[in-house]
Amino acid sequence: MATVTLLLQTLILGLLAGGVYALMSSGFTLVFGVMKVINLAHGAMIVLAAFLTWWVWDRTGLDPLLVGIFLSPVMGAIGWLLYKTVIARVQRADWELTLVASFGVAVAAGGVMALVWGAEGHAATPSYFTTSFELGPLVVPQAQLYACVGAVAMLAALHALLRGTFLGRAIRASAANRDSAALVGITVERTMAAMFAIGAATTGFAGAALSVLYQFVPDSHYRWIGLILCVVILGGLGSFLGAGLGAGILGVSEALTSSYVDARWATAVPYVLIIVVLLVRPQGLLGGRVRADGVPA
Amino acid sequence: MSSAARPRTTPHRSRRVLGAAVATVVLSAGCGLSGATPEEGSADDPIVIGMSLPLSGPAADRAKPGMAGYQYWVDEVNANGGLLGRQVELKVLDDGFDQQTAISDYNRLISQDKVDLLLGTFSSDLNLAVAPVAERFKYLYIQPSGGADEIFARDFKYLFFAQPATTQRLPNQFVELIERLPAATRPKTVALVQQDDPNTTQAAEIFEKRLGELGVTTVYDQTYAPDTSNFDTIANAVKQADPDVVISGAVTSDGVGIVRSLQKVGFSPEMFYQENAPTSPTYAQAIGAANTEGIFTPIAYSTETDLAGNKDFVAGYTKKNGAPPDEDAANSYTAGQVLAATVKAVGKLDQAAMAKWLHENTVATIVGPLSWDAAGRPQGELLLAQYQSGTLKVVAPDAAANADVLHPKPGWRP
Repeated sequence: MATVTLLLQTLILGLLAGGVYALMSSGFTLVFGVMKVINLAHGAMIVLAAFLTWWVWDRTGLDPLLVGIFLSPVMGAIGWLLYKTVIARVQRADWELTLVASFGVAVAAGGVMALVWGAEGHAATPSYFTTSFELGPLVVPQAQLYACVGAVAMLAALHALLRGTFLGRAIRASAANRDSAALVGITVERTMAAMFAIGAATTGFAGAALSVLYQFVPDSHYRWIGLILCVVILGGLGSFLGAGLGAGILGVSEALTSSYVDARWATAVPYVLIIVVLLVRPQGLLGGRVRADGVPA
Repeated sequence: MSSAARPRTTPHRSRRVLGAAVATVVLSAGCGLSGATPEEGSADDPIVIGMSLPLSGPAADRAKPGMAGYQYWVDEVNANGGLLGRQVELKVLDDGFDQQTAISDYNRLISQDKVDLLLGTFSSDLNLAVAPVAERFKYLYIQPSGGADEIFARDFKYLFFAQPATTQRLPNQFVELIERLPAATRPKTVALVQQDDPNTTQAAEIFEKRLGELGVTTVYDQTYAPDTSNFDTIANAVKQADPDVVISGAVTSDGVGIVRSLQKVGFSPEMFYQENAPTSPTYAQAIGAANTEGIFTPIAYSTETDLAGNKDFVAGYTKKNGAPPDEDAANSYTAGQVLAATVKAVGKLDQAAMAKWLHENTVATIVGPLSWDAAGRPQGELLLAQYQSGTLKVVAPDAAANADVLHPKPGWRP
């Protein structure tokens, strides 16, 4: 009985962690899928949102996850600014340089956050942060559950936005073919900026979830961007559903490794998965195969 | 659109990307490394003391107060006329809690910047890597933190530890406390959960052995990687093992992660002992102030002792920094005290003579009189503290205790 409980509990915790990973990765994979921009500052934006959440919570006592919802447009605006001032300019010069530029932004952001909030660990601790729902011998941590539910809602909203609105169609059209999209009257540049802002907006709630679930420091973004890269490579770069699937697999494999193999190996799981996926199925689980010139094979 | 939808990279492009990447790395490595090389010391030049601390990265929350302790010590020394009649200044580099960076920083401080003296860095992990550099160049190396015995097992001549004891004796007080409990309430089982760090893993081995001798069985033993942030599965496994005592070998914020996860899975042991993390200034807020009640931690320092100089240090430091010194600030101040004592006694900056003097003498510090064995291990005892009503009280040894032990620990509060 104890072994079954351990297994079920491990799976529950792994899936809940996966939900948060999915939320963190969604904006990143979306921006890549549409714009081909690998935004290495995504992790730093999540940590920034976590700091802002913590700061508002600490001052006002407002629920951190609620703060996260209101933070989404703020992070969107920051993302828009980042796109206009850095990404778009660098992209015009050479789109591959966006990788270096966004990494530079991440390093700088880490330094600025350390100056403003200090290097010590922070964590928002609302009343439910350590309480759990009990199902017999099993526990479902409340904060994880709320974050997971929020993540699914956020992903559904993004999906609806891309499928059901003009902006969404414009984004998809620009992604498929910039020139043709411009021909039918879409302002590609503005659409791209909107896309980047939407991707950044997802970091609002993701950061709020981070602030409740884990203690974080300014440099935490290195760990999270590593994890996000793993999730999207596993699921398929640019694939929205792939990010969800990759995140679930990663969460569960980490949990199983920690419970049944050795906790020392748990943090290596993302990187082992990256290597395996790149060897066996380089396009990721749900990524499409594409010829080198970008035409679906 | 999907993953591989990107044009084939031309060689020209990859060169440019590579060039930009290299430039970025070189530039960022160059940050903070400016500054003139001091000349070989004339009588008017300040004495330059070099160090590299993990001011950024996961151990930054410990290095920042550590740095404040060093700075307070320097200001005090300078206000009292300096060392050997010369003012003292610090040259501090940031290693980001990376062993390789720390090694190259100390190499640079010694061979390029030609600093007059060194002071040590934080954590066993970094000191393990840095101590051999100082030894190779025959520089006196007094470390404020990092008690893993591995560091001292190499019989270095220039290495000294500025805390009362190394990890070898860290478990003493807690083991003796358990030994003193009446048989009926004495715990039967223990879970050991520790970060993969030379200090914490060594302590865990000693705990397992010595508690085993008292009949306390180890029912769970897990070591996790330093970059672990999700402790839920570990906490769940601890809960399934249902131990009476949990011994958490934490290094920094991982300690908070462990406690929060134990709370989430709803497991509160009768006794909870945790290294390092409980003395962090953000600990109580991060785990919930009420939940600190009953948590044990070994400490090298307490603001409340009457040891020589301690009251003045606490008052002066509090006045300057707006908050009383934590353990890390006190440890680096102690390292400074030891360095100043040997410089004054020897009367010149002769590294070999200073090391020899420390091996033969006792230095009065705010953590008590310190003396060392041939390998630099201090010959004192650590204190055992326990959170009671929101503050850390010393509960053992009896000579230093200012509170009774609270047993068993109350459960977590939502």
